[in-house]
Amino acid sequence: MSIPGIHLTRIGKGNFLLEPLRSMNIQDQNELLQQVVAQVQQGQGAHLYYDLSEQPVIDRVYYDWLDKLARTCQAANLKMTCINMQPTAAFTLSKFITGKPAFACALDVPD
Amino acid sequence: MQKKEVSEKLTALFALKIGNISGQLEETARDYFGSDNKLMDEDEIADLSSEFVNLISGLLGSKDPHKRTSPQFHALEAFFSGLAQRMLMRGGNVEDVVRYAQQLQHNLIAALEKDSGVAFTQSRSVLLFFAQHFDELIMAIFRTYLAERENTLKAQEAELRETSTPITEIWDGVLTLPIIGTLDSSRTMLVMEALLNRIARDHARAVVMDLTGVKNIDSQVSHHLIQMVRAVQLMGSDAIITGIHPEIARALVSLNIDLSGVTTRASLSDGLKEAFLRLGIHVSHKES
Repeated sequence: MSIPGIHLTRIGKGNFLLEPLRSMNIQDQNELLQQVVAQVQQGQGAHLYYDLSEQPVIDRVYYDWLDKLARTCQAANLKMTCINMQPTAAFTLSKFITGKPAFACALDVPD
Repeated sequence: MQKKEVSEKLTALFALKIGNISGQLEETARDYFGSDNKLMDEDEIADLSSEFVNLISGLLGSKDPHKRTSPQFHALEAFFSGLAQRMLMRGGNVEDVVRYAQQLQHNLIAALEKDSGVAFTQSRSVLLFFAQHFDELIMAIFRTYLAERENTLKAQEAELRETSTPITEIWDGVLTLPIIGTLDSSRTMLVMEALLNRIARDHARAVVMDLTGVKNIDSQVSHHLIQMVRAVQLMGSDAIITGIHPEIARALVSLNIDLSGVTTRASLSDGLKEAFLRLGIHVSHKES
């Protein structure tokens, strides 16, 4: 089962890698949230890695999507970690968030 | 009657076939760039005067010598800009180039008069023609000087930025950033930009920011500092701040800055130990 605009791959035991494609439409968030979480659960995943390497800027709309996805994962007992955040994206995001985000951050998927 | 005489001299000037006057103009260049100044050798002085004579001859013989948008006048502008640039690069000063241009103007008219036998130095219209053109050429010299100065300042600023934010990879995956001097908003932004790019490049897992050399901090800068810590954390690195002076600590508290999500240590040494601990690196004394 494929999710439109998202490439979701199983990487090792319990880990999934989410790579957003250019065609991903975050306006249709609810449908996407359900599909991502359902697919990770079906694969008996426990950890979702969200790859931000192709996202040069994170604005409020995109952050809202990441926040909702992270909180949905938490509710489903999944951990979400954003990886490969670009310097420009970290800079813009750090300007408007005030607290700790709902997702963890890492440089890359741990070896 | 007076007007007719003036026009005649100007017409005579434009119709003039300039002979070999470059030798007469070499002395001017020698005074300012040769002899004691040693900015040019004799060959260069001869080339410079000869090139100038060719260019001025081209302008006087052009369709409209008054026009300052003509290719001939632009060529003269480029000549003086190039000269100013060369002299500044060789350690000369702009004043010498300007004085050279002014002196050249007088000597040129005198040389043309001598060459042709027409009393150009007595003609107001000829003097005015050259004065207007040379004023514009002196402007070109100043424009070049200002552009060069701006480039030098930019280069110096960039160098200062590099040296004032020495980001060093002290261990595999551990960056240190000693911040010295006054932290203002623009500098904090520059530090942040350099730091985030370095984290991405080196895949640094921990960053130790040492504020031992920072004596003052204001509300805006403290917010920027927290923003910098947050950005580092968002990239997936650990941020550790060390060497916070009591005055800075007091200022942060009075500014209601929330440091709960920030790891702080007393000294750079403690900060490095913390970074090593987090990365699972064990450093110990060699057993004797």
